[in-house]
Amino acid sequence: MTTLLDVAGLSKGFGGLQAVNDCSFTVERGAIAGLIGPNGAGKTTAFNMISGVLRPDAGAVLVDGVDITGMMPHKVARRGVGRTFQITRELGDLTVLENMVVPTARGRLSGLFGARMLRDEEERAMELLDFVGISRLADEKARNLSFGQRKLLEFASALMADPTLLLLDEPAGGVNPALLERMMERIRTLNEQGLTFLIVEHNMDVVMNLCRSIVVMAHGEVVLTGSPAVVQNDDRVLDAYLGKV
Amino acid sequence: MTRQRVEPSVIAVERGPSRRRSRGPLAAVATIVLLLTLLPLARPLIGQPYNYVLQIGMVGLMWIALASSWNIIGGFAGYISLGHNVFYGIGGYASGLLLLYFDWSPLLTWPIAGLLAVICGFLVGLVTLRTRGPAFIISTVALLLMVALLFDNWEFVGASNGLSLPLPPFSIETVKIPFYYAMLLIAVGSVYLSYRVAHSKFGLALRAIAQDETKAEVGGIDTRKMKVTAFSISAFFVGAAGAVWGYSLTYLRPAIFFSIAIAAEMVLMAIIGGRGTVAGPVVGAILLVTLNEISVSQFGSTELNIVVTGVIMLVVLLFFPMGVVGTLRERGKLPSILDWD
Ligand SMILES: Nc1ncnc2c1ncn2[C@@H]1O[C@H](COP(=O)(O)OP(=O)(O)OP(=O)(O)O)[C@@H](O)[C@H]1O
Ligand SMILES: [Mg+2]
Repeated sequence: MTTLLDVAGLSKGFGGLQAVNDCSFTVERGAIAGLIGPNGAGKTTAFNMISGVLRPDAGAVLVDGVDITGMMPHKVARRGVGRTFQITRELGDLTVLENMVVPTARGRLSGLFGARMLRDEEERAMELLDFVGISRLADEKARNLSFGQRKLLEFASALMADPTLLLLDEPAGGVNPALLERMMERIRTLNEQGLTFLIVEHNMDVVMNLCRSIVVMAHGEVVLTGSPAVVQNDDRVLDAYLGKV
Repeated sequence: MTRQRVEPSVIAVERGPSRRRSRGPLAAVATIVLLLTLLPLARPLIGQPYNYVLQIGMVGLMWIALASSWNIIGGFAGYISLGHNVFYGIGGYASGLLLLYFDWSPLLTWPIAGLLAVICGFLVGLVTLRTRGPAFIISTVALLLMVALLFDNWEFVGASNGLSLPLPPFSIETVKIPFYYAMLLIAVGSVYLSYRVAHSKFGLALRAIAQDETKAEVGGIDTRKMKVTAFSISAFFVGAAGAVWGYSLTYLRPAIFFSIAIAAEMVLMAIIGGRGTVAGPVVGAILLVTLNEISVSQFGSTELNIVVTGVIMLVVLLFFPMGVVGTLRERGKLPSILDWD
């Protein structure tokens, strides 16, 4: 296996608070990796730095060996890194279908004289909406979706860009058990097709079920990396969650 | 569902537009444009107020162009520019100077004025679009004040006294006609541009930017490039309209172009009609020009006229919080003749 994502010595402070501190880990191509840790551990901040939303104070992010540190998010996205947001960021005034095709507007400006949505793009978007089970909501304004449906839209629209690496920030947070089951099944299917995942999640059943390698963070630092079996039996992990680190 | 297919569609689908794209009330709009084109030929029907009718028509068409152009950056992309009349003035002066000092044909000067406005828009956009929200609004106001100050003191363009332009070579009976047609062309061009934006991927990107710039970026959209492009193309017809308006007045003065009231008017028309819709700025422009004309004729050009206009606008916004077109569409009551999105 080769390394797809290489996070090396990433740090980010907000004023006096060191949200992420010298954080290093790797994700292998084809893996479903987990990133766990108590609230405020710096997981979302790490995602923000990987996806270019935040500029790191120090450290580097390499995707497929290419240094993408400090790149604008759209450049990172075009390198095949997709992400979802913990607090979903659907475009409320746009329909669900329009939300889906936004990533196709990344191309040249010649778009001014072309159609808003090409037929094959619409079909692809509908396929993906079907895949997560919300295709009947395609023409609904995104702001009318329920919490769980927003999570699914967030997931489906990230897939629309055909990423090679997908960062999911708490995909299961607040999602009902039925949807959760579907989400996990979908993640596995996509992984079998070659998509690499890095998943932040508090639901341990989900993490232990899906992930073969897990990175544990606390107070902005990586405490431990290893397989679910290793992580489950390590005292440091429990300490981290109980705030003893 | 037995088998999920999520790889990019391998079937060679025709890359035509999606079926969801509506054709719009093309016939009705074409008829209106045709009637507007024929209007100057109806002198026997119009009779005495012929010049007045053409003048009002020209003013209305100009505001349609200004409000529709502003809507590209202010409506679709959500960046409220309160200095867009900078391009109006740049267009007016660029054309005026070419007419006055170089004797160029007005047929050439108005598109050149538009192009110069685009270039200025690009340069201004590179700087001001680094900010967003209130900071952006303030930066556009600052730009307007700076440019106004410059023109007020720049001797070459006559400073605050302005410039007198060569008189158009037409008789008093026919002089309104070419200006009317020029504004008609500019208005149709602006609305068509706005329509293209609304129906293109470019417009989709702008609407995404208006809602959540970070989300758009993460979706792979180069938000900066899109915004600067939107800002600069929105300047084209504003500059062109300034060129035609200045020539029709036969004189230029900074106060005519660089008053913040003009920028405010563009914004108001777009908001009253419906920001981020194609038909909105057109409806808003027609409403406000008509309202202004009626209230001037009733109350004269006094403060009372301004107060009445203001009150009526407040009432309209009370009942149509997203503008006339935006609100009607939201309620599913938009007549199809106005459904251009
Ligand atoms: N933009 C910001 N400005 C200031 N502080 C921030 C900012 N973003 C995050 N923080 C702080 O940085 C720390 C790490 O936050 P982060 O969101 O990365 O944690 P997390 O691991 O994702 O937590 P959770 O599991 O609750 O989502 C927290 O203390 C948070 O309050
Ligand atoms: Mg988080």
